Amino acid sequence: MIRARGLALERGGRRVLEDIDFELRPGEFVAVLGPNGVGKTTLLRACAGFELPAVGAIELDGKPVYRLPVARRARNIAMLASDELLADELRVRDVVAIGRFPYRPWWKFSADEEDERAIAAAIAATHIEEYVDRVFTRLSSGEQQRVWIAMALAQGAPLLLLDEPTTHLDVRVAHNVLELLRGRTKTGTSVLCVLHDINEAASVADRVMLLGCGRMLALAPPEEVLASSLLDEAYGIKMHRARTDDGRTIVVPAH
Amino acid sequence: MILRRLLPPLAAILAAGVGLAVGGDALPLAQVLHALVHPHARDIAHTILWQLRMPRVLCAALVGAALALAGAQLQGMLRNPLVDPYLIGTSAGAAAAIAAALAFGVALSVLPALGFAGGLAASLLVAALARRGSGIDATRLILAGVAISALLAASVALLSVLARSISFQLTLQAWLVGSLAGRGWNDLRFALPYAVVGGIVAIGNVRSLDALRIGDLRARGIGLDIERAQWSILGSATLLTAAAVSLAGMVGFVGLIVPHLARRIVGSDARALLPASAFLGAAMAIAADAIARSVIAPRELPLGIVLAFAGIPIFIIIYLRREHRR
Repeated sequence: MIRARGLALERGGRRVLEDIDFELRPGEFVAVLGPNGVGKTTLLRACAGFELPAVGAIELDGKPVYRLPVARRARNIAMLASDELLADELRVRDVVAIGRFPYRPWWKFSADEEDERAIAAAIAATHIEEYVDRVFTRLSSGEQQRVWIAMALAQGAPLLLLDEPTTHLDVRVAHNVLELLRGRTKTGTSVLCVLHDINEAASVADRVMLLGCGRMLALAPPEEVLASSLLDEAYGIKMHRARTDDGRTIVVPAH
Repeated sequence: MILRRLLPPLAAILAAGVGLAVGGDALPLAQVLHALVHPHARDIAHTILWQLRMPRVLCAALVGAALALAGAQLQGMLRNPLVDPYLIGTSAGAAAAIAAALAFGVALSVLPALGFAGGLAASLLVAALARRGSGIDATRLILAGVAISALLAASVALLSVLARSISFQLTLQAWLVGSLAGRGWNDLRFALPYAVVGGIVAIGNVRSLDALRIGDLRARGIGLDIERAQWSILGSATLLTAAAVSLAGMVGFVGLIVPHLARRIVGSDARALLPASAFLGAAMAIAADAIARSVIAPRELPLGIVLAFAGIPIFIIIYLRREHRR
């Protein structure tokens, strides 16, 4: 799977992260946490092969990701950026179908049977059947997020990179989206996901990657990260820990 | 859906029929049809149809189709509905080259070639200014296009002020408002290869344009080589626009409006949008040229002016009606 060795990343010519080493295992869900501007998105973009690391390398099955041909990279890594809005009136099914792009040679204008199968499977897995014929921009944020995930699933990549997929979603919808991603790991898909809510990350992830102070402070099971003072160090505020009725640790900022 | 996709080609065929049937000389329909099915006949109707009207209709079709195809691609790439093929500097470059040629008294027969070269040169300059890394920055492309076009337009105005000759003014004016007056088989032969190459590259761009609909970053995520797609789209749009400008001068609005109309009819899927834009653009230019030739015959109205007066109200009506229904 994907592996970073001695990684240093820059953003706009300024070094943001250094000495990053990690390896993502098949079927693993890793949540990336850290304060704003620490370089979470930059790390994700580097993993997707969009940007060259300043030092070190990110390798997919032993090869640097940014050296892979774009189509081959896209068949292995699906990156869901949280970027621009859509201006176009695309139907939900069309958005999902675009996920088949890396399998389509330039001279082929329509989906073949395998594409159709992958599109149908992605639609079924994300439970968006009821709105496949609706216009994408008129869906709610939660519904839109499911469609993006369906597109990424249609892409058939064993590694999913997501940049804040639960931003703007209410707690129930956010939970559903994360459960959906969690479910994908059972089929062997690895997920590397930037999240903002520490407790949300802890409840869904196998391991939490904590970025802060220009480096990776921790990459460990959620209980360990939440219990340690590294969290306070990363965000620069004092955290209180508490236990829930079902025995999980949660953190809240101290007053 | 199938019916909607058939609409643009039908419109083009209908417009071509009208374009062949009307003109400065009143020709009975029976004679037009007779000349059409007997291409080797030697009467006056035959000459009018095959030496005057047919090349005019084909020139208009090429100009309309090329501009609409260029506009559809650029609007798709920049995801900006206000983008027009002239934005990338092609027409301003052509106009400046032609104004300079006229000022220096170059033979009229080489004007199309000069216009083509000037348009190409200006587009390359705009593209070079819009470069960021190995790709093209959308905002910089628009700003560079506007800036270069304004500078070239000022040069044309300057030449026009300095050169006082009436023939200079008239020839230049014909280029600036867009006209197909006097165009024939030779002009078509010159422009066609460039338009064909631009069109073939456009077919190769279909897949990229489809992916670009979800945004640059997401398109990159699904495996689109953004930089290559951008250069390919810009190259196709430049060739198509330069071919159109070399034939007809600055014919406005087709490249802006037709892609919008086509999108209303067939949707934004590039596989349907590009051919629909080309057919609709051809239909609009042929129809406008037929009007330009016949309204005040034997004199001609400039094509660009007819297109503005006929095309823009149609656009407004369709656009507003559609907005109402929402």
